[in-house]
Amino acid sequence: MTIDARELNELTRKATELMSETSDVPTILRNRLGDQHELAKAAEQMLGSIKDFVQELRCFDISGQSFGADTFEGS
Amino acid sequence: MYIPEADIERLIRVLSEARSRATELAASISARLGKDHHLAELAYAASSNIENMLREVQATAVEHLDPGGGLVELQGALETETQPINPTALSPSDQMPTEVQTMASIAAEARLEPEHWLPMFVNDLISRLGSSGGITFEVAERLLQQRKDDFLRDFLIARRMYRTYPQLFPEIQGEAGPPSRETISQ
Repeated sequence: MTIDARELNELTRKATELMSETSDVPTILRNRLGDQHELAKAAEQMLGSIKDFVQELRCFDISGQSFGADTFEGS
Repeated sequence: MYIPEADIERLIRVLSEARSRATELAASISARLGKDHHLAELAYAASSNIENMLREVQATAVEHLDPGGGLVELQGALETETQPINPTALSPSDQMPTEVQTMASIAAEARLEPEHWLPMFVNDLISRLGSSGGITFEVAERLLQQRKDDFLRDFLIARRMYRTYPQLFPEIQGEAGPPSRETISQ
């Protein structure tokens, strides 16, 4: 099981779109409910996890993938 | 501090779409790199956070539905739509009709309106089964959740329309009280 550059670019593009589309959710909730409201905090956490995901996708090294074991598994 | 309904609608729409995208991303990465891969775990974590966020926003929206706000009909519809129903038995079909025919057929047999969520949900299941050749409980749950999100979103829009343009709803205007602008307060 591996991923090539084209697939990685496509996944990164979609993830970046996801991050962009949800970027104002924390702002809306913070402005309406205040910084300390649980919903606002949850939104910050949500966006943080999406940003982490996008960051890791952007930094992912395709050449570092293990081919042998995955090929052996046949999936 | 409050959240206007328009904001709630927007949040539900954005989060609902984001959840679908994140779930697809997680599935794609998991299929290519394995579910234990660091990237797959991050994708599932993001998807889970979006899911939780969506549920909290939906819960906030439902909890603050105005019980005396003059939308008896629409609120009744919400309760009815979310209640379990007992349709008449659906006869299995040996052939695969078009989507519209399927929905119309299911709706007719269950004595429901074609726009009811159940025929649409069943059609979603059949479509997914036809396109992928199989279906899992997880996929079925996700499709059902999407239907629930769509319904709540439509409900909130309908409620806002009623309050903004009550003259467009003469058939329920007399039964419900005067429309009032509702905000969802903290």
